[in-house]
Parts: sequence; structure tokens; C-alpha cells
Amino acid sequence: MSKKISKGTTVLLVAGVVVLFLIGGTLTTYNGLVAKDEAVSTAWGDIQSQYQRRSDLVPNLVSTVKGYAKHESSTLESVVAARARATQITVDADDLTPEKMRSIQAAQGELSQAIGRLLAVTENYPELKANENFSELQAQLEGTENRINESRQKFNAVVQNYNVSVRRFPASIVAGLFGFEKKEKFEAEPAAQTAPKVEF
Amino acid sequence: MILQRRLFTLLFALLPLLCIAEGWTPETLPMVHLQDARRYVCNPDGVMSQAAVDSTDAVLARLERDKGVQTVVVAVKRIEGGDPYQFGMELGRKYGVGDAEERTGLIIVLSTADRAYQFLTGNGLEGALPDAVCRRIQNRVMVPALKRGDWDEAVFASVKAADGYIRRDGQLGTGEGDETDGPAPYLLLGLVIAGFSVFIFSILRASLRDCPRCGSKHCMRSHGMTFFRAADGRRRRRITWRCAKCGYEETTDSDDPGSSHRSHGGRWMGPVIFGSGRGFGGGGSFGGSFGGGSFGGGGSGGRF
Repeated sequence: MSKKISKGTTVLLVAGVVVLFLIGGTLTTYNGLVAKDEAVSTAWGDIQSQYQRRSDLVPNLVSTVKGYAKHESSTLESVVAARARATQITVDADDLTPEKMRSIQAAQGELSQAIGRLLAVTENYPELKANENFSELQAQLEGTENRINESRQKFNAVVQNYNVSVRRFPASIVAGLFGFEKKEKFEAEPAAQTAPKVEF
Repeated sequence: MILQRRLFTLLFALLPLLCIAEGWTPETLPMVHLQDARRYVCNPDGVMSQAAVDSTDAVLARLERDKGVQTVVVAVKRIEGGDPYQFGMELGRKYGVGDAEERTGLIIVLSTADRAYQFLTGNGLEGALPDAVCRRIQNRVMVPALKRGDWDEAVFASVKAADGYIRRDGQLGTGEGDETDGPAPYLLLGLVIAGFSVFIFSILRASLRDCPRCGSKHCMRSHGMTFFRAADGRRRRRITWRCAKCGYEETTDSDDPGSSHRSHGGRWMGPVIFGSGRGFGGGGSFGGSFGGGSFGGGGSGGRF
């Protein structure tokens, strides 16, 4: 009654099971990498929106300060110029090369420094400091700087998570097959760390 | 064992004193909301008066109920590092203040010795309470009181002002994410009622006696009750039982519990039902929980 399984059939069955495991493992790893890649894109989008938020505040800041500090034209112009340069550079999350990351960091760091210098200058104008609109604008800038820092920390965390998955064996094989490459994190540069400090 | 317990109590009592010197951290700060869901103000150093804390708690409890905004107010003498922003962010990360999806958490930190304050708003609250409005509240209400050293007024008036702004936002408080929403509370209530009913039914059934004549189980029903004075002067109760099956009757005598309760002041029924223990006498002080919310850095702060 019992029929003996031939050696060839056994080999085929084992090979089939191995192939099934390989396909299942590859699919799971691929889906995991896609999810982590999307998390990086989302975090990058969050940073971009915070940068945009800061850029949107600059014209209002400049016009408010201009009303009180007419003699600070060079400082005001440097803020406007830094904003223009910062808004010119936009990078897609899939194209975060080390060079592009550095150029974004440099431009945004320059804007941060320019805003910081402008706010430092406003210390010399008590009437401006007492202006409620200006105080609220300062709060918005401060909040935006905090949000940028939080977004960058979050971005670095998700990039690290993604990079570990891309480099860890055997996921690295799947990552290599499907073109998942290591991504760049934000480096703590002196320029980037110089956020406009608001003292009260 | 008793010595260990006393040492533990002593250490717990001394914890605020130890933390005053170094400053509180999110790890050492006692989160009162976890012990009592109606409390939101962490005031371990007694910076605020109890009356101000109670008033602030009441406002924040209504705010959470009506608008789903969960708040933590920290009023301390000193925080480690002296930076209320970092302190608040770490506190938010540790406990997840506010709803996880709506992200409507609010953290207010006041550190009097550091002379620093901070509002932190979850992303979902930035529409109702943007950074500029936080600063406006601080400029108009909080800082003048802080400069006078009136911590009670600084916190309570700020919370009231924030409450006013949040209530004007029609988008908030649609009930989503509320702890009392969803089927779970109703299911729990249903289970409690069912369990209680089974308990009562089993007690009643166990108290019903078997008929000594026909032998039917649990068939002797109470048919009447009279009171009489015994020879020793005690007030006695006589219950007449009748079998529902065969009509057999008998009586049982016992001391009148009402008389006993009046004369002895209720030896145990009083304390058990009307006791003033913290668990029940206080009106139901059950521990709260946080919704897993997060903070993106929004808000406003400063020094005075």
C-alpha cells in the first residue's frame, strides 16, 4: 500500500521548500525595506515643511524690524539673500546624496545665522522688543527652530533604522538586488547648530 | 518588615527634598495623573497652593472631557539642567501626553528657581494654540504674575487663558480619542453589572431554605416579619417562612439588626459602605493614563 518516494522526488521537494522560504524571506525583507524607505521620505518631507515654515516667516520678520531699525539695512538684506538661497535648494527624498545634503545644510545654516544676527541686532531697539507682534513673531521663529531640530533628530533616527536594515545580512542581499542604498544623515555642523537664540 | 516599610516611607517622603537640591528630572517627577485621573498639576515642592492646584485641575479635567486635550502642568522649584523646553520634551516623550493620533497634548512647565517657563503643544493643538498665542498668554498673563512672585496666579490664569483659546477651536473635541469612547467601557460596565447580578442572585438563592416537609430545594419564601421584645429586653425579629410547593410554614427568630445598628452605631456596615477610605470615600480617585501623544517642538517659553 505504501509507496516509496524516490530520491529525486525528495530532492525536488526539499528544493521546492527552500525556494519557497527564499521567496517568502525576500518578499518580507523587501516589504520591510519599502516601509523604512517610506518612513525616511516622510521624515524628510517634515523637515522640508519646517524649512518652508521658517522661510515664510522671514518676510514678516524683515518688514517688522524694518519699521523700527531702519539703519540695519545690511543685516536685513543678508537675511533676505540667505532666504532666497535656502528656498532655491529643494531635494527629493530619493535623491539625498551627500553633496546635496551638505548644500542644503549650508544654505539653511546660513539662513539660521542671518536670522540670529538680525534678532541680536533687535536687542538695541527697546521699542521693537516691546512690540507684541514682534514678540509673537519671535515665538514663532523659536518654535520653528525647535521643530526643525526635532524633525532632524527624527529623520536621523529613521535613516539609521533604514541603514541598519540595508547593511545587515541577509537583508543586504535583497537591498542590493532591488537598489536600496544607504542614506545620508544630518551632520551636526556649527552653522546648522547656530539657531537664532531668543533671550527674554 | 515594618522597619523596611518605614524606611521606604521615609525615603519617599524625603524624595522631594533630595530633588530640590539637584532639580527634578522627568524620571524623578511624580506624575499625579497616573495616581488620580482628575489631577494634572505636578506640584511636588508646594510651589502652588492647594487651592490653586485644585482649581487648575478642575479646569484641565473639563478641558480634557470637552475637547480631548490632555495637559500636564509642572510647577517646581528647580529642574535639572534648568531648561524647561528640554524638560518638557523629555516628559512628553516619556509619558506620551495627549492623544496618539490627534496629538493634542499640552505641557506647561514652571521652574521658579530657574526663573523659566515653557508651553509645549502637540501638533494637533497648533491650530488652536499656535506659538504666537502661547507667547501672547505668557506676555499678558503669565509673566506679569511671575514677576510679582505670584505662582498661583501665573499658572491658573495661563491655564484659563489657554482653555479659552482651545475652546474657541471648533475642530477639537469631536470626541475622537476620548478615553471613555468606544465599546470597551460599555463592555466593562456590562460585565460588572452581570457579575454583580449573579452575585446577588446566588446570595438570595443560598439564603432560601429547603422545605423540611416536602424536601423541595430553596422553596421556603419569606411570608411576613414581626418584632417582639425578648425576656432580656432585646428587640427580636420573627420571620415567617412558607414553602412555595406544599404550603408548610415555620418561623425563625433573630436579633433585630436595625435595633443593633442604632444602639451600637453600626460596627461594620458603616465603615464598609460609608467609610472615608481614599479608594471610595474620596469619590472614586482612580489612576489615569496618557494617550501616547507626541510633541514636535511647538510652543513658547522664556525667562522672567
